[in-house]
Amino acid sequence: MKTGLSRRVMLRGAGVGLGLPWLEAMAATGAKPPVRMAALYMPNGVNVDHWTPKGTGRDFELSKTLSPLAAVKDKLVVMSNLWNANSIGGDGHYVKEAAILTCVTIKKTPGADIGNGVSVDQMAARKSGIETPLPSLELGVTPVAIGVDAVVGYTRVYGSHIAWSDATTPLAREINPRSAYERLFRAASGQSDIAGKMDTLLLDRVLGDANRLRGQLGTADKIRVDEYMSLMRALEQRVQRASAGTQRTWKARVPMDSKAIPPEKPADHAEHVRLMMDMIATAFQTDTTRVATFMFGNAVSNVSFRFLEGVSAGHHDVSHHAKEADKLRQYQLVNQWHVAQYAYLLERLAGMREGESTVLDNSMVLFASALSDGNSHNPHKLPLLLGGRGGGRIDSGQHLVYSEDSPLANLYVSMLDAFGAPVERFADSTGPLAGLLKGG
Amino acid sequence: MMVFVLFFIAAFGLLGQTFADSQAFLRQYCEKCHQDKAPAGGFRLSRITTEESLATDAAKWLSLTNRVKNGEMPPKGAPVPPIEAREAFGNWVGTAVHEKACAAGIVPGSALIRRLNRDEYAATVRDLLDMHMDIARTLPMDGAGGEGFDNAAETLFLSPLHTEKYLELAKFATDFAAKEFKSHARIFVAKPGPGVTPEQAARTILNVFLPRAFRRPVTEAEVAPYLELFRAAQKQKEPFEASVLFALRGALVSPNFLFRVESANTGTAARPLNQYALASRLSYFLWGSMPDELLTDLAAKGKLQDPEVLKQMVKILLRNDRSMGFAERFTEQWLHTRDLGGDKAPDAKLFADLAKDEDLRSDIRYQPIMFFREVFLQNLSLEYFLDSKHTIGTRKLERHFGLKLELRPNQTSQPHWVPLPEKSNRGGLLGMPAVLSVSSYPYRTSPVLRGAWILESMLGTPPPPPPANVPALEEHREGTAPKTVRERLAQHRNDPVCASCHSRIDPFGFALENYDVTGKWRAEEGGKAIDASAELLDGTKFAGPEGLRQVLLDRKDLFVRHLTNKLLGYALGRGLTLQDSCTVDAIVTKLKDNGYSARLLLEEIVTSAPFRNQAGMPAPKELVKR
Repeated sequence: MKTGLSRRVMLRGAGVGLGLPWLEAMAATGAKPPVRMAALYMPNGVNVDHWTPKGTGRDFELSKTLSPLAAVKDKLVVMSNLWNANSIGGDGHYVKEAAILTCVTIKKTPGADIGNGVSVDQMAARKSGIETPLPSLELGVTPVAIGVDAVVGYTRVYGSHIAWSDATTPLAREINPRSAYERLFRAASGQSDIAGKMDTLLLDRVLGDANRLRGQLGTADKIRVDEYMSLMRALEQRVQRASAGTQRTWKARVPMDSKAIPPEKPADHAEHVRLMMDMIATAFQTDTTRVATFMFGNAVSNVSFRFLEGVSAGHHDVSHHAKEADKLRQYQLVNQWHVAQYAYLLERLAGMREGESTVLDNSMVLFASALSDGNSHNPHKLPLLLGGRGGGRIDSGQHLVYSEDSPLANLYVSMLDAFGAPVERFADSTGPLAGLLKGG
Repeated sequence: MMVFVLFFIAAFGLLGQTFADSQAFLRQYCEKCHQDKAPAGGFRLSRITTEESLATDAAKWLSLTNRVKNGEMPPKGAPVPPIEAREAFGNWVGTAVHEKACAAGIVPGSALIRRLNRDEYAATVRDLLDMHMDIARTLPMDGAGGEGFDNAAETLFLSPLHTEKYLELAKFATDFAAKEFKSHARIFVAKPGPGVTPEQAARTILNVFLPRAFRRPVTEAEVAPYLELFRAAQKQKEPFEASVLFALRGALVSPNFLFRVESANTGTAARPLNQYALASRLSYFLWGSMPDELLTDLAAKGKLQDPEVLKQMVKILLRNDRSMGFAERFTEQWLHTRDLGGDKAPDAKLFADLAKDEDLRSDIRYQPIMFFREVFLQNLSLEYFLDSKHTIGTRKLERHFGLKLELRPNQTSQPHWVPLPEKSNRGGLLGMPAVLSVSSYPYRTSPVLRGAWILESMLGTPPPPPPANVPALEEHREGTAPKTVRERLAQHRNDPVCASCHSRIDPFGFALENYDVTGKWRAEEGGKAIDASAELLDGTKFAGPEGLRQVLLDRKDLFVRHLTNKLLGYALGRGLTLQDSCTVDAIVTKLKDNGYSARLLLEEIVTSAPFRNQAGMPAPKELVKR
């Protein structure tokens, strides 16, 4: 689709010509660029024969599946042998995939008593979310999977969300590229002083109304209205932060290009994914948010990959390769395609200058699947990549091999440290991830 | 009650289990760890050694049974009961706990405050502002819980994304409505003029608008904050109408609008639901939107708790076009045909004709939806879902079926009710391409998927999860001829671990092999004649869709119970509890005695105890059904 391409080119150019003044101002004050965190999630595991690089430490050779990352190899860390102990058992997918960023065991339920943990991205957003117009960005390309998986007894809500703001609240994702763009644009450009004031007033009165309602409710219902009120209050604060005028404390590091509007309906899956990668890049470059998650698909996703040369089936189908050579070959191609999209994002971020560094230098972008071999739903030896230097904290350009079944949660402890939101523990962590951070 | 017991006997051949048997089972497999001072997991068997415990400790009984059924218990390394014993135990517990609970009488479950889901929000804004536009397109889709629907209170979460969109859409909707003649008239029921100050006019407008937006009468104190918004806008020199719209924007982000609220029952006993709350339950059930003037009027007069009025309302609400929304949302989630828009769509390259023909795809999608609505509108037998002499037809569907249908001459492109010719193979839901596609892979049919679909969506007896570490099927060994799907599955069923489930799943799917991925009829595949013969575990032999229909009709009690569960869960917008299953029993018995009348099912639901009543506080201890 030609128009899609040209729009992308415009998006790509957005920051380059227009963004300098603010950036230079920032450089002049000596302020350090902010650190950003993103997590990209791929469903259905990998063909393990072609994933792990040869060699360890700095001297490693990218595997076939990782070959698209050649250009950013020195800004990449490949981690081998980590796993999420709390995702064992339950079922083959939901228990693993819902917990990829939380590292806890989800509650088995068709919905009534849903329970997970706070995801690592949201731990980060708790710190940075009050400094940017959007606390975090949750993106995807496929709608929420509907229904309850009656065979295994889990609501599909689990398989459709990796970002959880608390144990009972999965965060809704934006899947329409245009809506995502418009949301970023609105957030980044703010509104006039008057409009902001009026919105603030409106939310204030509505909160008053909510408070009155709250007084009439039972305990369980009160909790729901409290959730509503806290989200509305947060929205009120964001409106204030981004409005012109005295309350404004945030400014885009690079203005967004109002003409670079992506299409509402991308031509195909590949374009859809690319557009969402662009959204993350734009959000990070402008500093509209510092935290993003993206799902290539829901758990058990069976998106057709017939658009790839040599692939004749859907994603979940090829992951159940039954050790058949042809299916394994297709599985590898699908994995490699995902890695190529990840490489695209890393390269885009690497192309965004930020003073002496690049946005990639100031980011950490995780690529993860919650299974290794999809055929056996194996949660050991998870495929994990971390791109970017996390503001110079990450010792990149390595293949780190741990003793078998080391906790994935340790990675999150280190990521939160590099992000500037350190925690003592994260779920079942036993400490930071050795060797990931400089001097760590 | 009988029905429930029969259900298990029919499904699993459960006879002769007793309380003593259950105790023997527990002693044999569980006692070793679950006794003494420090029992594993803090659970001691001595807690459940009396028959009384089936009532007083029902939750414990059910949760342990679930773990046994799922194969989580006994744990690895301990002696494991054979699958038949596990199932016999599990089914006995289910029945026994259920019997005990129902003997205590029906107790309504609690209904949580819930936000309008995406579709409800769109329909409510549409009806509130009298405008014809889907404004919820940009809202995130909702997941599902409870009985598998996206209106379940428990899974209607709120994200920052929602609150932002609500704020934006409120502005968008009111701006749009101001420009539409009908909407404008609906909102501006007063204007300032001689003897009427702008504030008086605004008050009149809000006094009409807010009760509609909040779906109940409002007090003066509740109008005040919105009047303040009007004043604030006036102060900013906004014109009268813009100032009113600003106040309405506030109302559209109020929790009183965004949430369905049923004022708290602070007593301990259940009580009849408030009239306005009941009006909303009815309208959100059968329309997915706010109550209209008739319902509001009946609520104001206090007439909605009258069973005769409720039954009358079923008929009236169904006849309204808005019930298409109900038919669409319920049917597509019940049958999973909503997935046809995503991963499950037949592959566009392999089935290019279908991919190119948007009308045909739309006809296929709407066929089960409109069929569902007609069965209720015409008050046919629920058996029609299993086999029917009619279907929904269009010219395009006629061609797809390769049949001659008696279509209405001037309406061949509009889906409508048509008689089916003899031996058409298109009766009931299983003759519909939407169902046949969604239970296939995008590029080939699968007897396993179709069989599992029937077990889950038609009979409500989904297969148990595959055991952990299923050995991978080593198919197509060197030097052997490639096998057909049927041959490979036969090989699969030779493995006793696989056979325990697959011999239950696959036969249903085999009988449908004459339908291809798109639901077209085929006599052969790849040059080989289709073999649509099948044999059930109990030795019943049947072949093809006609044979399958008979097998399903022989199990219609299972089907009717499942549909009742689904509809009650949808109507209540929550997962069903053990107590609700007593309501389901009563409804199923009544349906059986009355020729499975479709409308009776809806009437029984809206007059049922859980639909009309509100639990007290603290809510009775609820037990998850499964």
